[in-house]
Amino acid sequence: MTAVAPLFADPYRQRFATFMADRREPEALTRLRRAAFARFEALGWPTRQQEAWRLTDLSALQALTLQPPAEALIEAGILPTLEDVPAHRLAFVNGRFMPGLSHECVLPDQASIASLREALTLHPERVMAHLDRVPGLEQQPFAALNTAFLDDGVFVHLPRGTALETPIHLILHATGGDMALHPRLLLVLEEGARATVVVEYRGAGRYLNAPVTELTLGAGAALDFHQIQEESPQAFHLGGIRVQQDRDSQLNLHLLAFGGQLARVDLDALLDGEGANCLLNGLTLVRDRQYSDAHVRVEHARPHGTSQQSFKNVLDGQARTVFDGMIHVRPHAQKTDARQSNRNLLLSKQAQANANPRLEILADDVKCGHGSTTGFLDPDAWFYLRSRGIPAGQARALLVHAFANDSLTPIRLTPLRERLAHLLAARLALDPAEGERTP
Amino acid sequence: MLEIRNLHVTVEDREILQGIDLTIRPGETHAIMGPNGSGKSTLANVIAGREGYTVTAGEILFDGKDLLEMTPETRACEGLFLAFQYPVEIPGVANLYFLKAAVNAVRKYRNEPPVDAMDFWELVQERMKLVKMDESMLKRSVNEGFSGGEKKRNEVFQMAVLQPRFAVMDETDSGLDIDALKVVADGVNALRGPERGFLVITHYQRLLDYIVPDHVHVLFNGRIVRSGGKELAVELEEQGYALYNEEPGRARRAA
Ligand SMILES: Nc1ncnc2c1ncn2[C@@H]1O[C@H](COP(=O)(O)OP(=O)(O)OP(=O)(O)O)[C@@H](O)[C@H]1O
Ligand SMILES: [Mg+2]
Repeated sequence: MTAVAPLFADPYRQRFATFMADRREPEALTRLRRAAFARFEALGWPTRQQEAWRLTDLSALQALTLQPPAEALIEAGILPTLEDVPAHRLAFVNGRFMPGLSHECVLPDQASIASLREALTLHPERVMAHLDRVPGLEQQPFAALNTAFLDDGVFVHLPRGTALETPIHLILHATGGDMALHPRLLLVLEEGARATVVVEYRGAGRYLNAPVTELTLGAGAALDFHQIQEESPQAFHLGGIRVQQDRDSQLNLHLLAFGGQLARVDLDALLDGEGANCLLNGLTLVRDRQYSDAHVRVEHARPHGTSQQSFKNVLDGQARTVFDGMIHVRPHAQKTDARQSNRNLLLSKQAQANANPRLEILADDVKCGHGSTTGFLDPDAWFYLRSRGIPAGQARALLVHAFANDSLTPIRLTPLRERLAHLLAARLALDPAEGERTP
Repeated sequence: MLEIRNLHVTVEDREILQGIDLTIRPGETHAIMGPNGSGKSTLANVIAGREGYTVTAGEILFDGKDLLEMTPETRACEGLFLAFQYPVEIPGVANLYFLKAAVNAVRKYRNEPPVDAMDFWELVQERMKLVKMDESMLKRSVNEGFSGGEKKRNEVFQMAVLQPRFAVMDETDSGLDIDALKVVADGVNALRGPERGFLVITHYQRLLDYIVPDHVHVLFNGRIVRSGGKELAVELEEQGYALYNEEPGRARRAA
């Protein structure tokens, strides 16, 4: 860092200096932080002149004086569960691991599931060998900020051939107070490893949650990853997800977004081995003045890769969504099959869905397709239901449910799928039991 | 039970119905025939409460209550049913679930508890047999991928389950083979009784061999230009509507 005057004129510099003072950690991590902070400074705070941030209005966030994370106690009862399915459960409050709210299960040999802090103390080399190694999000200042300020999070390392039967359930709860949180989720599946992961972001009050998730899938690895974003209505969520997939690996990534006054996820997936497959399944439900944004880039670097993106948004009130999706096929990635679909359902005339699907195809023997649709509920279908006696509101909810529900069907974790179906029904003011029975 | 008085309806500033008077008493079945575009579906839709139509004059009373004041769902809960000329496909909403929601909505309106699952299933089974519908259709999304005939059958099936007091059938016979036609007619006839009324819109006298109407009306250019008994259908079948086109004077007299 160049410590030229005016010293600490920039609040981030000051915060970073305070954060680094008296920090005991591996040398390599400190170097990583300093490089990341320098990158953040070079990129600067995003402005709406930048194409990638054109529609993301950060002024309300910028006006806040963000605070470092503080400890807080919460009732265990408010945290979600996977019902009767046992899980490796790690709970975090304001970014800090809470052993008392967590639950360990027996682990396969050599496998590691731990808080990032603990893992850094126990086996720093193992963590450092993987931290910040997945390419992507190079232009995303909040991803750099996360590396600079990361303090805790999760380290999951499944060695070759480990099939983890018990799902990993990560719950990250925030308590407001304008805190800035930078949790880091680091998941490494070596060759042939398999896992199911559920991440739930929740909270109360106003705060910034800027997590970064790194997913590494070795050859033939398989991961079902679910991210349920239910941040508080006042919260800001600026998340980054980086994925790197080796040969014949299979990723099913489900992104469900319901909360936040402003929520954005930047996702970069690199299919870096032949025959890698990824399914990206997104469903966003927003209302009032919520803003929700997904910037997705799927990069096919090797032949025979397949990817399917399906992103759906349901907008009510004056809500706005952005879907910016890029499929990039490198010159040698022949026989790539890449699909992208974005469907937006507007429940109000004031709602606005923005779509920017993009293709960059540099190989000649590929199958690529994308499509985006935006529309209101079908008035004929609405009338048809009402003409049979179903009240207007319920008829509307039924139709929205029909639109959204097929984003839930690929979720294989039954208690989660059912909880989400209830959540969906509740948001649509349907009787939950009835709503769920709709196939 | 249904009284239509001097009904004038415009669509996008064009007057489609130009003064309809029609009274249907409990137990009666009326048929409406008329050329394409004469306003038959418009009348059916206005009775059911579809948006997009402006009633500029006149009224419709259902058991003495002002029908035009009611929402479509209230009309249905009051016992009105429209079998659509073009039933809508609703992907993602299962037929059986939809039907149960409808039955329960009507029950709630009448302050009755939700239908017992077993009772409902028995009713569904029985009515399905009546219209010779395959059970697999229940699990499928409403009308999605149904053939033309299957859609019409599904309309009659819904009617048979909901058991409305008054039903408007808008060309339920169109596009049906002769066996399906009988099925539809059986469905209607099974419901006929002293308390129920039907308004059957059709182009073909053939249907009226099975559903024998008490009255037949000719709708032409938004007016009922002639009314008569079931023999009127036979006459129309033979002569067509050319007569009304050439002699507006006679048409008006006949009205
Ligand atoms: N929503 C609408 N917008 C514009 N015109 C309409 C609309 N609905 C009906 N019309 C017009 O009103 C007239 C009557 O239509 P309607 O559907 O009632 O005829 P119909 O008698 O049912 O004909 P068919 O025998 O072909 O079913 C037609 O000229 C039609 O184009
Ligand atoms: Mg018609």
